[in-house]
Amino acid sequence: MELDCRGMRCPIPIIKLAQAIKVHPEVILMSDDPATEPDLVAWSRMTGHQFNKLSESTYLVQKK
Amino acid sequence: MGSITAHFQSESPLHPAARAFLADAFDRGWADPTKIHEDSRQAAHLQNEAKEIFAARLGLKNDQVEFLADPAIGFHLGISGLITTDSTLFHAATDRSEVFAVAEGLSAKRLATSITGAIHYPKGGSDDVLAWQSANGETGIITAHPDEFIGRIFVDATASGDLIALPERWNTALWNSRSWQGPAGLGVFAVKDRSAWRNPLPHVDAARLNTGYSLPLAMASAIALEAFAREYQERQFALTAMNAQIREFLINEFNDVDIAGSLDSTLPHLLSFSFLYIDAQMLVSELDRRGFSIDSGSACNSSNMEPSHVLAAMGLLTHGNVRLNLHPQITEDDVASFLIALKEVVTELRA
Repeated sequence: MELDCRGMRCPIPIIKLAQAIKVHPEVILMSDDPATEPDLVAWSRMTGHQFNKLSESTYLVQKK
Repeated sequence: MGSITAHFQSESPLHPAARAFLADAFDRGWADPTKIHEDSRQAAHLQNEAKEIFAARLGLKNDQVEFLADPAIGFHLGISGLITTDSTLFHAATDRSEVFAVAEGLSAKRLATSITGAIHYPKGGSDDVLAWQSANGETGIITAHPDEFIGRIFVDATASGDLIALPERWNTALWNSRSWQGPAGLGVFAVKDRSAWRNPLPHVDAARLNTGYSLPLAMASAIALEAFAREYQERQFALTAMNAQIREFLINEFNDVDIAGSLDSTLPHLLSFSFLYIDAQMLVSELDRRGFSIDSGSACNSSNMEPSHVLAAMGLLTHGNVRLNLHPQITEDDVASFLIALKEVVTELRA
């Protein structure tokens, strides 16, 4: 599924992502908040989910 | 709650010993210490006294001690003053932003910092310069000595004060009076060997500093340093115990909390941790409403809306961040009340 969080500030994109990943095995996250990328690194480490950066503000997130 | 105000922010209150001295110092210390009047002689005496205190506490010789009215200029003096045309500047991704600003105009390489705060220093060349931070002011993580680096070393001791000794090899070093509860507006700068340093500011004599500073502030800062060092030593065991108690509470009472460093790798009075899915701005204001003032490195709490570059560089969570500074005056009761409030607020915000 696609999750468009552009224009939203931290920690909203990560909160929405955590809700989405509960029900979807893969989420395309779009977020232009400067905290999203470092927080995806920490969130992946803490939760075990994986992510890949697809472009400047798009990330592919996969459930563990 | 709310009856006490526990102040865990980095802007530590001026030490009472320094405050008591300041009024008197402003009366006594205004004359120019380089002139030959009686007042000037008194001022020169005060200046020497202050230099002796800093030299003894910071591991310097008296003639290596310089005072700066603006501690931030010390990054430029300390780093640019060691740079030659063949130099590369090495600095860590967790260094202060003042270091990044100085690096902008130079041939520079940024070194990665691991999640534990470890930095791999290169050997470098003899003309190369390393900006080495003895401890990080946000996470409190103490940095290993850069023994393998063979070039020149600028020591950023602005967070560690007198708590961490200078490495065996160093060329320039900078301290901030605020780190020992001294007055703001005073930096202590040292050059080990003047022949290896050149004043990067407009100057008449390349080996001398001609920046002004307030002598009363320097003396008050020296008094604060003496008092702070004594109290810190007395309170060190208690501070370490409080830090351990907070860490244990965080691990036992909360899910998804990211703590920077370990008890062994950090200065006992500094602690940084982040709560997943928590908005730091709401956390800060809810704690403030309950009488607790804290700092945060989260984007929503910063003036430029950027997250802390230190947390980001280490791969630590940048949102929901709390930074505590356990001043020597903070008591076990303050910490106990703070932890109760923290539990309430985080539980409410996550509900």
